Amino acid sequence: MRPLTIAACFALGLAALPALAQDAAGPTTSTPEAVTTTDSAPVTSVEGNADRGRALTYTCQGCHGVEGYKNAYPNYHVPKIGGQSLPYLVNALNDYRSGARKHPTMQAQAQGFSEQDIADIAVFLSNLK
Amino acid sequence: MTNSRLRTAALAIALLGSAALAACSSDTAETAHADAGHAARSSSAGLPSGHVAAGEQLAMTKGAATGQSCIDCHGADGNAPIDASYPKLGGQYGSYLARALQMYRDGSREHALMSSQARGLTDQQIADLAAYFGSRDSELSTLQGAH
Repeated sequence: MRPLTIAACFALGLAALPALAQDAAGPTTSTPEAVTTTDSAPVTSVEGNADRGRALTYTCQGCHGVEGYKNAYPNYHVPKIGGQSLPYLVNALNDYRSGARKHPTMQAQAQGFSEQDIADIAVFLSNLK
Repeated sequence: MTNSRLRTAALAIALLGSAALAACSSDTAETAHADAGHAARSSSAGLPSGHVAAGEQLAMTKGAATGQSCIDCHGADGNAPIDASYPKLGGQYGSYLARALQMYRDGSREHALMSSQARGLTDQQIADLAAYFGSRDSELSTLQGAH
């Protein structure tokens, strides 16, 4: 049991390294410690760019852009995300990225996103009518 | 450690065994489900169909766990969340809303308020809430034509 636990921690650490590197190499325009929220919710320090968000969300259309598209096993509709609250979208993507929220496809997608990407996607989606 | 491993193994065997049994006798199992259906809080057979009126009533009722109703936080018709980090629910797909509530209930999704709010819900209540919020006007859209 113990060697397994140690191995798991090691694997997690390794998995976290690229994410850390990505953050460090992120855009310099952001002020990492400044938290700009209108409410109490912890969200993001990064200002989103809707044009970048538009480009980043082409892939999302495959599931979220098809009216009535369903997730299989379990069977339910893929949610409508256009016009959703911005901080909610940021939190959802962060949670998928960290694994706190679970969905195989969404976790795989979110793992490739930087903090800047998530801010861009959220600002684009939340402004859709 | 050895004990817990043994227990895990025993559980796995028990689960496999019951799964096999269920598969072999699915006809009788379904009958049994139907009989027990009224009392069951949740069923693996899927959610019952939801009723908008019942969902509306429940959406206005303050939950025991948080002292809040759905509407208290998500706003009228689920379209005016009081905190920007809370999602809009109005017109969202009912099946997605039901799935979210099921995940909060079983702990596979967590939120400080939603987890305790959903814990006591029955399948029927989840189906009713999903039907209600899914039937409201929506500020949400799919990404169809958004690019």
